[in-house]
Amino acid sequence: MSKKRSLIFSIVRGLAAIFIALAVATLLIFICSEGATLGEKVSQTLSALRQLLIGPAFKNKGGISTKNLCDVLAAMIPIIFTGLATCVMFSANQFNLGAEGGIMLGAFITALMAIYAPLPAGVLPVAAVLVGAAAVGVMMLIPALLKVKLGVSEMVCSLMLNYVVMYLVKYLLNSHLADKSKGQIMTHDFQSQSAIPQLIQNGSKLSWGFIVALIFVVIIALFMYRTRWGYAIRMIGINQDFAMYSGMKVGAVIVLSQVLGGLLAGMGGGIEMLGRYTNYSWTALPGYGWTGITVAILAGNNPIFVPFAAFFIAYLNKGCSLMSTYCNVPSQLIDIIQAVIFLFFAAEQFLSRYRQKLVVKSTQEELKLKTSREAEPEGSVK
Amino acid sequence: MLKLIFTSDFFFSILRITAPILFATLGAVVGEKAGVSNIGLEGTMMISALFGSLTAYWSGSWSVGVLVAVVIGILVALLMGFFAFNLKTDIILTGIAVNMVGSGGTLFLVKVITQMTEGKAMASTTSLITKNLQVPSWDIPILKNIPILGDVLSGHCILTYLAFLLVFLTWVLLYKTPLGLNIRSVGENPNAASSVGVSVIRIKYIAIGFSGAMAGFGGAFMSMYYAMGWSQDMVSGRGFIALAAQAMGAGEPLGAMLSALVFGFAQALGIKISSTGTDSNLVSPIPYLVTILGLVVFALVARWKVKRQHSAAALKEAAK
Repeated sequence: MSKKRSLIFSIVRGLAAIFIALAVATLLIFICSEGATLGEKVSQTLSALRQLLIGPAFKNKGGISTKNLCDVLAAMIPIIFTGLATCVMFSANQFNLGAEGGIMLGAFITALMAIYAPLPAGVLPVAAVLVGAAAVGVMMLIPALLKVKLGVSEMVCSLMLNYVVMYLVKYLLNSHLADKSKGQIMTHDFQSQSAIPQLIQNGSKLSWGFIVALIFVVIIALFMYRTRWGYAIRMIGINQDFAMYSGMKVGAVIVLSQVLGGLLAGMGGGIEMLGRYTNYSWTALPGYGWTGITVAILAGNNPIFVPFAAFFIAYLNKGCSLMSTYCNVPSQLIDIIQAVIFLFFAAEQFLSRYRQKLVVKSTQEELKLKTSREAEPEGSVK
Repeated sequence: MLKLIFTSDFFFSILRITAPILFATLGAVVGEKAGVSNIGLEGTMMISALFGSLTAYWSGSWSVGVLVAVVIGILVALLMGFFAFNLKTDIILTGIAVNMVGSGGTLFLVKVITQMTEGKAMASTTSLITKNLQVPSWDIPILKNIPILGDVLSGHCILTYLAFLLVFLTWVLLYKTPLGLNIRSVGENPNAASSVGVSVIRIKYIAIGFSGAMAGFGGAFMSMYYAMGWSQDMVSGRGFIALAAQAMGAGEPLGAMLSALVFGFAQALGIKISSTGTDSNLVSPIPYLVTILGLVVFALVARWKVKRQHSAAALKEAAK
């Protein structure tokens, strides 16, 4: 099949998946809309859909809403990082689901640095984020080494680690680090020089972290497609036996992919912490790890597409929260929408008949071209 | 200290805590035997727990609640099967999607169905399940009068008995029935199975449906006995622990039951320790850590066994 045709196919397929997800969403919104008559329900559903689809970009009275769009961009920061982390790990066929715990641990360690490390401005945020990332990298050594040395499922191991991280962070926060003068459970405030500066001062928390995230998209894309190690990671994902027989250090590369995933997730947590908050107060897993998996699936495990997928998810997320504010539809609808899109995107056989048709069409055209080419020179001789 | 911990009450709680993990573990065992890694057990349990508790409230009968929980579990599993087997979505990703619905989607549903708004920080159905809607307990006639043993084994929820009974039934299903043979053959070599006329996809659907039913029982146990109603993230990783128990039990019902009991023990111990005044957040990770340790020990033992077999074979060769 020609490149153009397969591109068309993947676009049609993606749109179909999104369309199905939105249809499911519409149905659910309709069910939870209030109204005595059918007409009222329909109009409620429509206004809720308007918030979901157009709300994040445009104001209610028309005109582009910079604040909402900045919110969307700001929300992309952590999920770009977890998305990249998942891309790297899934590319090596390592179903490590520890980005969830990783981002929490990274955020926590970075927060500790930001509170207690006596470092000057400029150095502190960088050092804090790097230390947080390194901590998660070390954490990911556990599932990675157990997988390589003992064949323990990295999936189960990383899932368990998520809970261990959550409870330990909660314990440290509750018993040792909480600022007792505050009403809620949270740490002391970060030192003022630790904050990552904002790009735009409109309260949307769009910090320089966004730029850092985009830089890392480029770095990871180059790493995956232009370096020996990136090639090894992808090759192990495609065919581990082939990689082994061709002399790649499979074990080392598996460890590398998971540690790299950990570093990225931890970095995302740290940047999110310093860019958005002034103290640490997460007591539950933030969910960015799971969203990161959706992002990676939408991006087809290709780092370059991660920002677009992250934008899409962040946009829908913002839409859902607007919808819950204005239209009484619970914002957790996003989880259902995500799951549906996710399922259809990952479905290899989804629309396979359509692909079949395209393949047949291409082949027929190629055959025609071939026969006409073969016929031509004969004709010219005669 | 030890005397304080190891009371008959403590051993009773081990069985109670193990039951939901055991249900999910049996689901994982049968799924894995057919070559289906159902990591959506966690989410399936959440969804079943929600609908079970809601229907119990509406119908005023716990049995209807349990039944609906199981049916919902099966339906979710079959839907997973449709995506995994017919549309060829990776089964792991399918499971992740179900878990997404299980953690966030259920909260959406509970808010919509019960009309509880965002104002309440945590929507739940805790207020709906009352004492008479709980799955009832049962005293085993003669056994309950025996000291200690009676205190530990008798007076459990009937679902707890069912969980342990199902260990035996699952073993019978897998090893004493034609269906079990088909399940195992599909898991071991689908091509060989299909060459002798076994419908691989049908067997896989049956296996995943079974695991869904088990998750349904587990969910019903969680929301209608273990806790009085559904609340967010109440399953808290039991579905994942079940996967580990399956691996540690070498995929056999009995072994998986023993591993599930280890986790039940770890968690019961944690609860006991936290009741002495330790921060519960410090002891809560114990079952999860035990899971990782358990997997490591299991892997080491398996490796040692293989080594021993190899050396035994080599010795035999040499003797010839």
